[in-house]
Amino acid sequence: MQKLLRFGETETDGGRDLLRAAELTRDPLLRRLYLVHAVDEQRHGTLFRSRAAAMLASGTLVRQDPRGETPGAGGHGLDDLDVERESDETMLAFLHVAERSAASRFAVYRNVLRSDPATQSIFDDILHDEMFHMNYTLAQLVRVSPQRHRAKLWRARLTRLWNAYLRVASALAGVIGGALLTVQYFAILPLFALLSKRAAAREGEGWRAVAQRGADSMRSQY
Amino acid sequence: MKILGISAHYHDAAAALVADGVPVCAVQEERLSRRKNDAAFPLAAIEWCLDSAGVAPESLDAVVFYERPMLKFERILTTALRAFPRSWRMFPKAMKNSLGEKVWVRGIISSHLGVPAKKILFTEHHQSHAAAAFLTAPSRRAAIITTDGVGEWATMTAGLGERTPGGQTSIALLREIRFPHSLGMLYSTFTAYLGFKVNEDEYKVMGLAGYGTPSLVDEVRRTIRRTPDGAFALDLDYFDFHTTAARSYSSRFVELFGPPRNPFEPIDLETENGRRYADIAASVQRVLEEVLVEIARALQRETGASDLCLGGGVALNGVANARILAESGFERVFVPPAPGDAGCAIGAALYADRLYFRNADRDVPDHPFWGPEVSGAELARIAAEDGQQVAECADEVIVDDLMSGRIVGWMDGALEFGPRALGHRSILAAPHDVAMRDRINREIKYREQFRPFAPVVPVEAADRYFELPPGGARLGRFMSGVFPVRPEWRDRLAAITHVDGTARVQTLDRAMAPRLYALLDAYGRRSGVPVLLNTSLNLAGEPIVNRAVEGYSTFLRCGIDVLVAGRTRVVKRGSLLTRAQGAEGGTQMVAAATAPALAMANDS
Repeated sequence: MQKLLRFGETETDGGRDLLRAAELTRDPLLRRLYLVHAVDEQRHGTLFRSRAAAMLASGTLVRQDPRGETPGAGGHGLDDLDVERESDETMLAFLHVAERSAASRFAVYRNVLRSDPATQSIFDDILHDEMFHMNYTLAQLVRVSPQRHRAKLWRARLTRLWNAYLRVASALAGVIGGALLTVQYFAILPLFALLSKRAAAREGEGWRAVAQRGADSMRSQY
Repeated sequence: MKILGISAHYHDAAAALVADGVPVCAVQEERLSRRKNDAAFPLAAIEWCLDSAGVAPESLDAVVFYERPMLKFERILTTALRAFPRSWRMFPKAMKNSLGEKVWVRGIISSHLGVPAKKILFTEHHQSHAAAAFLTAPSRRAAIITTDGVGEWATMTAGLGERTPGGQTSIALLREIRFPHSLGMLYSTFTAYLGFKVNEDEYKVMGLAGYGTPSLVDEVRRTIRRTPDGAFALDLDYFDFHTTAARSYSSRFVELFGPPRNPFEPIDLETENGRRYADIAASVQRVLEEVLVEIARALQRETGASDLCLGGGVALNGVANARILAESGFERVFVPPAPGDAGCAIGAALYADRLYFRNADRDVPDHPFWGPEVSGAELARIAAEDGQQVAECADEVIVDDLMSGRIVGWMDGALEFGPRALGHRSILAAPHDVAMRDRINREIKYREQFRPFAPVVPVEAADRYFELPPGGARLGRFMSGVFPVRPEWRDRLAAITHVDGTARVQTLDRAMAPRLYALLDAYGRRSGVPVLLNTSLNLAGEPIVNRAVEGYSTFLRCGIDVLVAGRTRVVKRGSLLTRAQGAEGGTQMVAAATAPALAMANDS
């Protein structure tokens, strides 16, 4: 279920980026195609979320504490592509590569979900759309960049690899940083925690007078 | 003197420019980035403000950030220490979150704008709220209450503001309630418990409350005690927001109120669970109102002021605002169009102008339209490219549309600053039938059945249709109060009358939005009722539109029949968003009736 929710979040986020791309492009045909694509992605998000909800309602899954289930804000969308600054060529190349990758991933899920026809049919439905997305992005890339479309595609593949590396590196750094901070938490903080708790115990509840500070205090971040 | 105000990093980032003591422009980052509640450092908003005013960064006299980052960091660190060792999961996340960017605000501003560090100033979070509320209100002397989730330490402040035209200004925040005791956090905890998004969906709790009875107020009062000095304190055994970022409420809270609602579970008011959620919403709403009214009443007695300015996110609660107006003894209650953190950008800049630079007081224009202008020509170009039916038209044609039951996307002039669509980026429709409400919920907003829509009415006619207490029309100026619809009009205003017989009415002053006022007037002459349904021009999960192209993409993806930008009117002939897949990859677009599948494409 968490996987479905994550897929739903990524698709919805991608739809939002495509919507923005549609609003920014000067090419009327691309605007319409991006809009269709955005609507598809948002529909996929809804399908994934609805399926997750249905699984929960039907008791296919043990009810979990929803406090941990709410999807976080953001998500990768189009792998953090800066939609505002990209050209149509770059956007199309990137979309084509991303859709191709998503299609192969979803195909794997469809194949392993034979025991769950309802979820499998969602992947079937989405795969059908992904084929359209792959085809139109390539066709349009060739239209807007007939000479350089292959180079654009290679650049998009390398960018995805680089972004994947950055995500892994960032996640690894996050884990290491988190571990170091946790060690510091238990090694350094106990004494200060004790003092802080004593101070808190002395604090009363309710209103407190606001300390009046001069205008010059506005220079301070404290 | 030119002062840039900035709010950022928590939710709803924004920038505002004050020149010679008066705001000249302000915009939320989400309206430019198109990411709802975008909290990122508002570079696009800053660029737009400076560009539109023709101001170079180096000519700014000051840049003011809306809170003190290091003081906030102190609170986060102290909270972790006080919750030791339960805070061990929260601590690394909180430190990474704060130390990554949030405490380096001075450097970030300096590097992005190229202004020297000595020009960068900081207000306290609730000072910004107070300034946004008081310095934009047409009041010379007013009591001030600010309340939200939390700023640096304060969650609520009470004070007094005084200004003399052409003279000096003072804002004295007299006392405060400190984290973790917070009305905003209390309400947000119930928001999370009811399966809604914290810091975003609190208004859904207010809407749901209308369907319930406050049968659980005693239980809610166990979570929040009144203190002898008239303040309040949360019983922290029921909460977890101060020990972990993962959840707001504790197991004891669940024991008290029962299992929480799963966010993916629809609220069905016919079921026992659905009614329980509604009762809980009604109960927390009732307790919130009681606490606010009593605090406001005490402040009125203490200051003797006849005006009250409300700031902070809790001031978006229109039901509570109306009760404060009716029961606290204040004659007028002012809530700015952006009482939340976005409004702090204006508040911080005005605070610096009046209280740091000691500039003379000036009246601030009493409207919310500080953002980018919409271009009818842009809409005409895009719609013509798509073969849509485009024409320049008189507003009488729009009245025809409304009379014949069409739903109109209405873009006019400068974008609103704040969360409400107040007539420049609105969806307008006839307010008479429940069927219209249901259609907008079903075909446009894709949202829960319990969510009401708001009406807009000329201020002079408001009292005829709505039971406004003295001062109610002022509270309705920026849609900040919820008032009863007069019983004799409820049938004819069914689309905007909530289940409890109320409406979050906007009372429109001709000078504030003359074109919409004229449209209301013309609609009133034709229909006999100068009231329109007014809801924000956006789809669920998206910010209110800014440019014509964004309005157009919204128009294409939902059931809006007519789109207006300036004098340009586009009538939907059919959806362009269906496809015929050709051999080369489906690049042919076909016109067809709006596909039902599109309804599924948006969050409900």
